[in-house]
Amino acid sequence: MRRFLDRLYLWSGALGATFILLIAILMIAQSLLREFGVRTGAVNDVVSWFCAAASFFAMPHAFKHGDFVRVTLILEKLNPTLRRYVELVCLLVACVSVGYLAFWANKFTYESYLFNERAQGLLPIPIWIPQSSFAIGSVLLWIAIVDEFILVLNGHTPSYVAAVEERHAAGDFSSDV
Amino acid sequence: MDILSIGAFLLFLMLLLLGGGVWIAMTLAICGWVGQAFFTSTSPGNNLFSSFWESNSSWELAALPLFIWMGEILFRSKLSEEMFEGLSPWLNRIPGRLMHTTILGCGIFGSVSGSSAATCATISKVALPELLKRGYDEKIILGSLATAGTLGILIPPSITMVVYAVAADASIIRIFLAGFLPGFLLMGLFSGYIMWWSLKHPEKVPPRDPSTSFMEKIKKSEKLIPCSVLILFIVWVLIAGYATATECAAYGVLGSLALALWSRSLTWQSFKDGLMGTMRTSSMIMFILAGAAFLTKTMAFTGIPKELAEWVNQMHLSPYALIAVLTFVYILLGTALDGISMIVLTSTVVLPMIQKAGFDLIWFGIFIVLLVEIAEVTPPVGFNLFVLQNMTGKDSNTIAKAAIPFFICVVVCIVLITVFPQIVTVLPNTLMGKA
Repeated sequence: MRRFLDRLYLWSGALGATFILLIAILMIAQSLLREFGVRTGAVNDVVSWFCAAASFFAMPHAFKHGDFVRVTLILEKLNPTLRRYVELVCLLVACVSVGYLAFWANKFTYESYLFNERAQGLLPIPIWIPQSSFAIGSVLLWIAIVDEFILVLNGHTPSYVAAVEERHAAGDFSSDV
Repeated sequence: MDILSIGAFLLFLMLLLLGGGVWIAMTLAICGWVGQAFFTSTSPGNNLFSSFWESNSSWELAALPLFIWMGEILFRSKLSEEMFEGLSPWLNRIPGRLMHTTILGCGIFGSVSGSSAATCATISKVALPELLKRGYDEKIILGSLATAGTLGILIPPSITMVVYAVAADASIIRIFLAGFLPGFLLMGLFSGYIMWWSLKHPEKVPPRDPSTSFMEKIKKSEKLIPCSVLILFIVWVLIAGYATATECAAYGVLGSLALALWSRSLTWQSFKDGLMGTMRTSSMIMFILAGAAFLTKTMAFTGIPKELAEWVNQMHLSPYALIAVLTFVYILLGTALDGISMIVLTSTVVLPMIQKAGFDLIWFGIFIVLLVEIAEVTPPVGFNLFVLQNMTGKDSNTIAKAAIPFFICVVVCIVLITVFPQIVTVLPNTLMGKA
């Protein structure tokens, strides 16, 4: 189970990364094609969907990896026991709010599918296809949060804390803006 | 409840959640939800979906991961070593000598990278040991590295500016162009301080490196060529209006990959690491933008920002007084929040106020970026302090103290652009016409 979940987050993240690569390729292709007078307006729609997909698929991995920012000023001052409790409360809040988000992401996407809604723009494909990146990504994020909640409940250090400590100890600050 | 009390209640809720350590994006969305569910008659679920979807499926925003990626690639290349070697022979005769490598290095790296922490880390990696080995004053080096690292977000491309442009619905290219002159001004102020300090404390400046002939200098600087080409290319693309910001970013990625390949520092592993890091950072930022988009919707429904802008307007503050108050508030916020969150968190409320007072949105973008720069070096939470703390093992308060003179330089820069807003607006206005 552990291995399966970790792979799931990683693959979801890799999928997000692939979309970023595709955005770069598409943008360069578009600027070249435009020079040759090809009309490429539809590429802009695709790029914006890819942008959403890159962000949503990456969420579970980024969360686990400690990239989601939060204010830790007070947390770091607490003693370990208290900190664990506050950490659990935070995760619980996250569980509920992301659960709500995932519910609506799926409800809405399903409705787009049900009513066969099409994208407005130059590429009128069914809009549920790009929207499903949001539906899937949010569910995976919710799973990652529940997973983390159970880990912390069992007395583990949260992965998002451990990952950041490890990264900074290795002198890697590339992920910090 | 009247509108301002609702605003105060939401602010309290936000501070409670933020202080408790709830993730910032979620905090924003939760406050947005509470505002809509209890104080308006709309359906928060539908709005939640559309805010998240519309804010993230944006063609403009696609520039963000690409600019992040560009920095990630260069962070993993040998650029900083080459930069130090190429720059140092030229600086031997200026008061302060090699200390200026920190400022120039950060400025140059800043013009290919959009991140302050990455700029600080990249330049420090090389400059710090080299300068300490030669016996330069540690305090000045630490201070200048911490603060000059923030040039990464002032000199375009800049991740912070992309986020601001998206939040303020302003043109990315315009705000990039606006960043050049303040960036040079700030570099000038930093270098000026170093010169002044060196003239005052000649005993603390170590002797020059053995002097080299002009030809040798040129030879050593050869390594700077690829980086300069990349910078010139980006600047040219921006100024000529040849490409959109997103296309410019895509070519920047291509150029950075070529540069890394040329210096033989591009491996499959570093390519993969860079791309994965980009994916995480951009997802983090876009999640915050989505949460903020939902909160913005709540704000639009409740009318809090408008009411607040009215309220501030009624106080008849002079524009300078308003800017002074905002500077104070942002410095305060900056002690606890990171730059991106600070911008996204405040833009919905502050921007209407600023427009009402007659300020230009582009100008305000540069103003806020300068304040974010300050935030990066103010304890307890300042990212560049963490970077240097990690690299030197020095306590972050010591580093923050060393940064104070440079911190003052940034404040001077803010005063200058407030009194002479042309420093910011002249470049975008001449190149792109008045907005």
